[in-house]
Amino acid sequence: MARTKSKYRIGKMTTIDYIIFVLMLVIALFILIPFWNVIMISFSTPKEYADNPLMMFPKNPTLDSYKALFADGSIFRGYWNTLKLLIVGLPLSLFLTSSMAYGLSRNKFPGKKIIFFLVLFTMIFNGGIVPLYLVMKSLHLTGSLWSVILAGSFSAFNMILMMNYFQSLPESLMESARLDGAGEWRILFSVVLPLAMPIMATITLFYGVAYWNSWYDAMIFLRKAEQLPLQNVLRSIIVESTTNASNASSVDAVGKQGFSTGMKMAAVVVTMVPIMCFFPMLQKHFAKGVLTGAIKT
Amino acid sequence: MKPAALGPDKDPKERKHNGSILTEIWKHKMTYTLLIPGLIWLILFAYLPMGGLSLAFKHYKANLGIWGSPWVGLENFTYVFRDPTFIDALWRTLYINIIKLVIQFPFPIILAVLLNELRMRRTKKLFQTVLTFPHFLSWIIVSGVVINVLSYDGLVNSSLALLGLPTINFLGSEKTFIPMLLLTDIWKSTGWGAIIYLAAISGIDQDQYESAQIDGASRMQQMFRITLPNILPTVTIMFILSVGGLMSSGFDQIFNLANAATKNVSEVLDVYIYRITFQSSTDFSFSTAVSLFRSVVNMVLLLLADRVAKWMGGDGLFR
Repeated sequence: MARTKSKYRIGKMTTIDYIIFVLMLVIALFILIPFWNVIMISFSTPKEYADNPLMMFPKNPTLDSYKALFADGSIFRGYWNTLKLLIVGLPLSLFLTSSMAYGLSRNKFPGKKIIFFLVLFTMIFNGGIVPLYLVMKSLHLTGSLWSVILAGSFSAFNMILMMNYFQSLPESLMESARLDGAGEWRILFSVVLPLAMPIMATITLFYGVAYWNSWYDAMIFLRKAEQLPLQNVLRSIIVESTTNASNASSVDAVGKQGFSTGMKMAAVVVTMVPIMCFFPMLQKHFAKGVLTGAIKT
Repeated sequence: MKPAALGPDKDPKERKHNGSILTEIWKHKMTYTLLIPGLIWLILFAYLPMGGLSLAFKHYKANLGIWGSPWVGLENFTYVFRDPTFIDALWRTLYINIIKLVIQFPFPIILAVLLNELRMRRTKKLFQTVLTFPHFLSWIIVSGVVINVLSYDGLVNSSLALLGLPTINFLGSEKTFIPMLLLTDIWKSTGWGAIIYLAAISGIDQDQYESAQIDGASRMQQMFRITLPNILPTVTIMFILSVGGLMSSGFDQIFNLANAATKNVSEVLDVYIYRITFQSSTDFSFSTAVSLFRSVVNMVLLLLADRVAKWMGGDGLFR
């Protein structure tokens, strides 16, 4: 972003700058207001929501919706299952991705092009869900959280991002480590990875978000309700119970539905909060990581 | 097939002049060990399922497994193309995705140019954070938010009522469902889509802007004459990728936003595949045939778009 330093950036604000600013502000509010509304509904009483669905500030904030939600217990189970996914899946993903990315970023060896093509090909073509399901079944992984972990533990796109970043590191570093007698694995862990924090943070964010948001694999591979990750629990709370509610207009439904709306919104908030916390922290890394990873032509 | 933007560096000294191929392999034995974990994953969870696509040409019998089931040639495909619900789902998918491609595609470009023109650095960062945030949420969370805001007694309808306007059952009527798909997707993905264009813009040589300013070019002129032409290669690549997804994508969104009232307009190909595989029947051969058809068409479209882009003088995805 050398551009911010150039003359182009300096100077007085003109009309066009104000117009752009206002436009951006409107777009940002367009994004923020729905979230604000959801959060506020989760803190309001059913009656207040029924009276005033616009709800920007509840007069009597209450935690009732959250209490009712947690009393159910399924949210906790979902959280725990998602945590298991992250604890096992993230290190595995980073291991698979970085070892392969480092291997492929190293100068040349016989078969490199073929292996790279094999990775690349998975980005434009895949077997689809039925063969994957049958493979999981024949490996006796269906019905276990491992199926969800393994299905999501490698992404060709992330590998290529990381590979491009590794290629931007000076070869002389690895060369001198090699002269000191370090093996390739040693070089990966003690030379390359410490130098690659921006891309590591980015890829961790990508895999982390993918695990956090995964639900389709779980819906297909898992059988018992108590194994399901958080997203599936959330889905059963909001989507499945809303199927008929969106056209429910009868007056007597309002009171009861108001309460469940609060609970649903509390569930949305609870599922969203970790991403809200981590995302701004990691964002500065991924801007840098994606830039160096993707735009190296 | 090698990507122009992503491939490993080409080395002119690729051909070694001493030693046989075996000594060369032995020399790099350590490097191969780095690749083994990833390759095992690829074989198990990418290439084995690809082999499983042979089911499309077989009659799957659970007790015989993928490999033991008898071959039936193209029989599954003749069934597929005789199924009117498949044909409906196919056209609906293309219809929705073409609408999305045409209307939605320019939004991230416009947003990136606007963000780039924003002079206040900190504010720019803040806007960027807010605008990319929805991308990181699942469609389940987003549909929770969207259903709440657009529902009969939600934010939008309450506002309409307050203004004395008629309320609209946005997600509960067939007429408004597809426009809502477009709108919610724009809402969720524009900010993230803009990141890649912003990156491309930040790579533009500053001298071009400086000399344009010396020549007295206005901000608008700089935008149209420098910024946009310079990001055209990125635009082309993004367009090719979107064309390659014309037959799929959108499952999460549609599956989570659809309801009983919009059943007739929401069954796209992915939803259809899911339904025939895991809900109504369990004819794995039939649904594998459908998804093989979809994947092949997607791939052909991708390669075609790539060809067209190169034919028009742009950078393609593959060399």
